[in-house]
Amino acid sequence: MPPRRSPTLGILVLLVALLLAACGNPGAVQPTPADGVGPTVAAPSPVSGQNSGPPDTLRWSIEGVSDLPSLDPAKPQDSQSITVITLVFSGLIRLDDKLEVQTDGASTYSVSADGTVYTFTVREGLTFADGTPVKAGDFVYTINRALSPQTASYGASGRLGRIVGAKDVLEGRAKEASGVKALDDTTLQITLEAPLAYFLSQLSYPDTFVVPQKLVESGPNWSEQAYGTGPYKVKEWKHGQSILLTANEHYWQGQPGIPNILLPFNKDSETAYQLYQTGELDIMGSQQNSLPAAHISEVQSLPDFKTAASLATRYVGFNDKKPPFDNVDVRRAFALAVDKQTLANQVLAGTVLPADRILPTGLLGTQLPIKPLAFNADAAKQALAKAGFSDGKSFPQVTLAYGQEGDNEIVVQALQSFWQQNLGVKVNLQAFELATFSDNLNTTYYTPTEGLQFYLSIWGADYPDPQNFLSQQLRTDTPNNNGHFSDAQFDQLVNEADRLGDRTQVERRLQLYNQAEQIAIDKVGWLPLFFPKLNLLVRPRVEGIVVTPNALVVPDWSKLRLK
Amino acid sequence: MLRFFVRRAVRPVFVLFSLTFLTLLRFFVPRAVSLVFVLFSLTFLTFMIGRLAPGDPILVLMGARRDAATYARLTHLYGLDRPVLEQYLAYVVGLLHGDFGLSFRYGSRPVAELINQGAPISIQVGGLALLLSLVLGVPMGMLAALRQNTLIDRGIVGLTLVFYSVPSFVLIPLAWGINLAIYRAGYPSLPQAGWGTPEHVVLPVVVLAAANIGYIARLTRSSMLEVLRDDYVRTARAKGLAAHTVVLRHVLRNALLPILTYVGPSTAFLVTGAFVVENLFNIPGIGRISIEAIGQRDYPVIQGTTVILGVAVVLMNLVTDVLYHVFDPRIKLGQ
Repeated sequence: MPPRRSPTLGILVLLVALLLAACGNPGAVQPTPADGVGPTVAAPSPVSGQNSGPPDTLRWSIEGVSDLPSLDPAKPQDSQSITVITLVFSGLIRLDDKLEVQTDGASTYSVSADGTVYTFTVREGLTFADGTPVKAGDFVYTINRALSPQTASYGASGRLGRIVGAKDVLEGRAKEASGVKALDDTTLQITLEAPLAYFLSQLSYPDTFVVPQKLVESGPNWSEQAYGTGPYKVKEWKHGQSILLTANEHYWQGQPGIPNILLPFNKDSETAYQLYQTGELDIMGSQQNSLPAAHISEVQSLPDFKTAASLATRYVGFNDKKPPFDNVDVRRAFALAVDKQTLANQVLAGTVLPADRILPTGLLGTQLPIKPLAFNADAAKQALAKAGFSDGKSFPQVTLAYGQEGDNEIVVQALQSFWQQNLGVKVNLQAFELATFSDNLNTTYYTPTEGLQFYLSIWGADYPDPQNFLSQQLRTDTPNNNGHFSDAQFDQLVNEADRLGDRTQVERRLQLYNQAEQIAIDKVGWLPLFFPKLNLLVRPRVEGIVVTPNALVVPDWSKLRLK
Repeated sequence: MLRFFVRRAVRPVFVLFSLTFLTLLRFFVPRAVSLVFVLFSLTFLTFMIGRLAPGDPILVLMGARRDAATYARLTHLYGLDRPVLEQYLAYVVGLLHGDFGLSFRYGSRPVAELINQGAPISIQVGGLALLLSLVLGVPMGMLAALRQNTLIDRGIVGLTLVFYSVPSFVLIPLAWGINLAIYRAGYPSLPQAGWGTPEHVVLPVVVLAAANIGYIARLTRSSMLEVLRDDYVRTARAKGLAAHTVVLRHVLRNALLPILTYVGPSTAFLVTGAFVVENLFNIPGIGRISIEAIGQRDYPVIQGTTVILGVAVVLMNLVTDVLYHVFDPRIKLGQ
């Protein structure tokens, strides 16, 4: 009898692999292919002189995924879906290239004196891509649908939950929110429980992008033929490969200047870079999936290379309900001991901007200065001594947790050496596969004593408003406050600011956020490390597209061109 | 040469017909029973390991936003709030009806649809890679064995060692670099990634086959060397048989058995284990689907792809068993 492998062996191998992938042990987790790729082969010469491509199709790479779950604007799960959804759908409000609120599907709007009633006039001649006129009632349908439990939206309750009657719909007690009304075919009225200064900003998020009822009710897979009021509509969706969009000839700004957009999925950014170099892509890179850092030096002198600070903050969060980080002096010591300049400019080779505050560069409110906890080894040691650990050796064992993605590994190692050098504290590092990491953050939130001690995390703006960073992340009762930072004065300041809905009070509102941010810095709600940069490649033949900290923005679709 | 292969192809049919019904029964019944057992343990273990492993599909779906009410609603919607055993039973009942369930991540898309979409593509890439590795690997191994200790042998042994030991995530950038240089020089080049045209197949198949070519060539070489020393080979030579007859009929046929042992089960893994290749070359196959599902804790997809892989491994072993008998009639079916 010759040697033979039993089937059970193969299955066992597979199960073990599955098991290993599931645990958080860093040694057991497979490295992502991207880690091994990048630097192995240096490109002979940078992309140059290649500026051709099909004259009627813009090829825009969608990275980090191999397909999209759906193009339903009511439940975008990831930034990649949002990119495509905003090409196909649009709402009442959008953000312009300066990240300021502009009308879109609404031609005008007004806010009542007490800041709770918003009245929008639907743009005259606004139609869906099939030519059907859009009425105020379509927006009512859209908002109620986003809130409905059947839709199973992930974020609608957070963004739309303050509309009068929204909770009744969310909890299945009503079909329609009483605070959303079509006064006539062109007038939409939305009433809020309390004034919300950032409400218009929130409307730029896809969940209120108007959907045609006829399309949504055509079947469970309706989004495969998605069309709305956006500049493009879906022509063909090849699952696992690409989505082809074609121009919406009824678009209100006029017919888009490029007839088709092809959106190929590239699971790995390295693949996208290869395809860009061989002339198969016009745009690559995004906020979540930046151009691989190893290639930046090859392309940064080219006109193709675009960069901007992105609206995200990478930070260290502390579990304020568990020793030793329940002590503000310990947190201060750890914050003061981090040399962010070295981290950003040397360790990460300038691919990020050092962060001296919580709000990322370019966000509303960052024009007001903050007094940072600047790197100071002596002050750090003093703070640790004040906390009762004059000698780093008596400090308890602490473990910094992080999710395995991007440059996190390098970042935590740098932090470890800063704390070792400047405080004499030996910090353990613990890597988690991403889903396991989010599980651990969940535990930290619900049962802090069993949770992580401190962790590397990131927050990117859903909409460009300080509220999205301060009130939503660090207020005592907010469900995203994983580390349980709690400060009565901070809460009072952000609560007051959130309510200042009147646009004329914006100065006062930003002042309040500024004071709150200063408290969060001084008491170390977060230890902000750096703001990632958005690095993209856009072929020079593409005209009419602007890089903003949020994403690529096309101010006027009719002026988008391929040279 | 041609006659040899024609006879090889006709033989299995002839062999199977010549078997008695009882032998066939004795061969297939235990295997069918073991398949049922394998499938049961496979579904049970993947189901339980998935649920016991840290990580929560609903948390992954919701991203960084925590919202207890939405969490509870979604958990209920996907049936994850039911007792685990109840969930398992529902899953098995579904499976018996051919229903693999719905993917968590891909909203309303059935797992069967995802597998149907990915499997043919992976089989195509994996099958071509296997073919390429056999077509190149076996002759290389034979050549090395017949020219043992010459420069040719050393060259082949060295080359195959490189093929075998360089992992695909090193080989891929290398292939990209070469292809890019050809592109820049203005010569016709291959697409760097993607799927849809015959050109798209070339790079991934070459990369996927490389390690296998190395292994198969080394296996063929060592197995040939062993057989070459056997008495019956000396007898065949002494009889005055032509050199190629000795090599093809007497040596190769017996030397192929260890290769069969390797190729059978490896086929299943070549198809599903190509996830690095599928990821980096943008191939919408089943390997990429399953790896993504593990990261997302998309339980129904993880289970579905595991069951398919399990069945593939069992079937390939069955085919291997039959082929043993075909290549070496001394080995009886059912042994």
